[in-house]
Amino acid sequence: MGFFDIYNLIRSVGSLVLLSIGIFLVMKKLHGKYAWVSFVPIGRYNVLANTLEIPWTGVICAVLELLLVLCSVAGSVFKGENADIAIALTTLIIGVTLFVYRIRLYLRVIRVFGLKRAWIIWFAVMPWMPMIVIGIGKRFAPRRDVRFIEEWEAGTDPGAPVAAHAKKEKPTEGLSVEVRERTVKDFGKKRYLLKDIAMDIPNGSLVLLLGGSGSGKTTFVNAVIGYEQANATILLNGSDVYKDYAHMKYRIGFVPQQNLIRGNDTVIRTIDDAAQMRLPASTTTAERRKRVGEVLDLLGIAASKDGLVSKKSGGQLRRISIAMELVTDPELFVLDEPDSGLDGVIAREIFDKLRNIANEGRIVMVITHTPDRVIDLFDKVIVLARDSSRIGRLAFYGTPQEAREFFGRKTMEDIVLAVNRKDAGGEGLADEFIERFAAMRAGKGGEAQ
Amino acid sequence: MTQKVRHKGYFAQVRIYLGKFIRMFAYQNDWKVLPIGAAIAALVTVVVGANMFVTQEGTFNGAFALTCVCIWNGFFNSIQVVCRERSIVKREHRAGLSISAYLTAHMIYQLLLCIAQTAVTMLICFIAGIKFPAQGIITPFGMLDIALTFLLTTYAADMFALMISCIVRNTTAAMTAMPFLLIFQLIFSGALFDLKGFTKSITALSISRWGMESVCAIGRYNDQPMVTLWNTMYQIRDIDYMGTQPVLEAMRQIQREGKMNDFLAWSGQHNQNMAYASDPKQLLIKWGALVLLLAAAVIVATIALKFIDRDKR
Repeated sequence: MGFFDIYNLIRSVGSLVLLSIGIFLVMKKLHGKYAWVSFVPIGRYNVLANTLEIPWTGVICAVLELLLVLCSVAGSVFKGENADIAIALTTLIIGVTLFVYRIRLYLRVIRVFGLKRAWIIWFAVMPWMPMIVIGIGKRFAPRRDVRFIEEWEAGTDPGAPVAAHAKKEKPTEGLSVEVRERTVKDFGKKRYLLKDIAMDIPNGSLVLLLGGSGSGKTTFVNAVIGYEQANATILLNGSDVYKDYAHMKYRIGFVPQQNLIRGNDTVIRTIDDAAQMRLPASTTTAERRKRVGEVLDLLGIAASKDGLVSKKSGGQLRRISIAMELVTDPELFVLDEPDSGLDGVIAREIFDKLRNIANEGRIVMVITHTPDRVIDLFDKVIVLARDSSRIGRLAFYGTPQEAREFFGRKTMEDIVLAVNRKDAGGEGLADEFIERFAAMRAGKGGEAQ
Repeated sequence: MTQKVRHKGYFAQVRIYLGKFIRMFAYQNDWKVLPIGAAIAALVTVVVGANMFVTQEGTFNGAFALTCVCIWNGFFNSIQVVCRERSIVKREHRAGLSISAYLTAHMIYQLLLCIAQTAVTMLICFIAGIKFPAQGIITPFGMLDIALTFLLTTYAADMFALMISCIVRNTTAAMTAMPFLLIFQLIFSGALFDLKGFTKSITALSISRWGMESVCAIGRYNDQPMVTLWNTMYQIRDIDYMGTQPVLEAMRQIQREGKMNDFLAWSGQHNQNMAYASDPKQLLIKWGALVLLLAAAVIVATIALKFIDRDKR
């Protein structure tokens, strides 16, 4: 073994040891579990990635490192020109992929410690050095607003049980919601997203769904309409949404936040195609055209029906998006921020239309972040809040006036601020209102309102 | 109780979406792919046209270039068609869209587009004066065999790009993958490099290999003269050996005896490639390989798009 071979060996082993020390020090600063795994060659990136809450990146890094080892073994076992080419190519592909994933992990470290992105160059060239610098340097601390470790643990504890909302008799009219829990498996851990949410909504109601960012509004809506099913019972006019979702989905309309419409088709054909897809196969062409015409009139887009969708304004696009779902005459109509990006006048017009739709006997549920300009149109308010265990729970369900009295706030936006977390600019009173509302319901015999 | 109501089935949905895509062909300026394809084909035929189906070299170069044109056309037809409207498809799938029906509509629409592009390419070749083989191998007409090969090649590339479009989440990722796909087709066509062993077996997955071999087979590559040897001899004709110029002498002798064409044919016979054999069974295998590749791409595309509900919000 020559001088350069010994030098290279010492250099390789040395940099690996230093990298392990660097990762260990960073892990300690992040209060990560199993920091000692930093000294295990294939596991070190995995444990760091887990602490930074990007577990899949860690798993992929570990698998790729293992594959590199296998390639090196294969290189010494299989000989020949073709084998050499194949192994070299495979090693190159795995090596480049591993490098990309490591860069992703380093970027996360940079973000957690609030460093400049230029640090990535240092990480890419000599990763052990910035790791040790960050691990030892007293001025490097995880940013206060970064809560990766807490997030990773968040929602895994169902928390204290609240009063049961379950009802003895299910109504045969309107929407009956009983979400016992909505969980996801997140890297082997059961994480609670929603828990104990129950209510009965009568037909003909325009319902406002309120809640801060991350309170579970979209998760709740997806659970109610059956798209992402929870441990729940959802009855729409007596029919179980989950048990017969294949048919029930045609009785529910969902308008997403974005205008997910093809721009290069005419308005009339877009809505007519939506009608063909959603209406029963037995619907005649004349009946379908009549229904499309009614919806165009109801939403005030009949005059521009022949133009291309891409040429329409923001307000018109929202109406087209609503029309695509409304054309089936759904019994439950859910809209995710129908007023997003619209000025007050146009937004008011759209909510007036939604009020008219509800007046026809349907249930219209709306998520909006600017509710106060149209609150007079709503019959009911649902307030969802994220409790201290970071689980979405029901903080209130009732009329807008009852909501003002319950929360002691004058506006709906103030109510959202009251239940929002402090680090999200709110008052952090979610737990208090969740418990108060549960207690208030329990006092009424556990009946959902 | 829930009243069971039937909604539009597979075939009705295919009809609805096919109508939508055809309307969008006009509104979205998709028709521009035809003149662009024609321009590319024109450029290629101007360069390779004169000797195609005349000499082995001309046939080989022309087959490679025109196969690349077909692959290029196919890739660009559909590389973005699904990923650019992925969130729309997710919404529609949520409302009852059958993924199989959606992809079938795309397959039919893309087939129509590929037929139009093949017709344009053939027209350009005809205008450029390419002399197609009179006799076909499968059909009675060589031109028809070539057109079918171009169509299969374009369509297989189109379906391969459709598969990528179904797998990736956005147009940026699709366009990033595009150069790699093209490079793969170039390298593993077997035309540029002499591949052996493992790398040779990878060429079975390359559309360019089967397309090119089919064109060469239909063009009767193995029956054509080869000019490379004669041209090389011409370049080294002045080489002196012990006071004589043996190469020049040999060339003069061949010309004097009027055996030049025999010499070129003899060169061609010694440069035959069994992959380009003009055998109906062999050609059907090559076409079958293209059909298999496009079928595999469609299956993968369907499976990939079935998971669209798992896309993050």
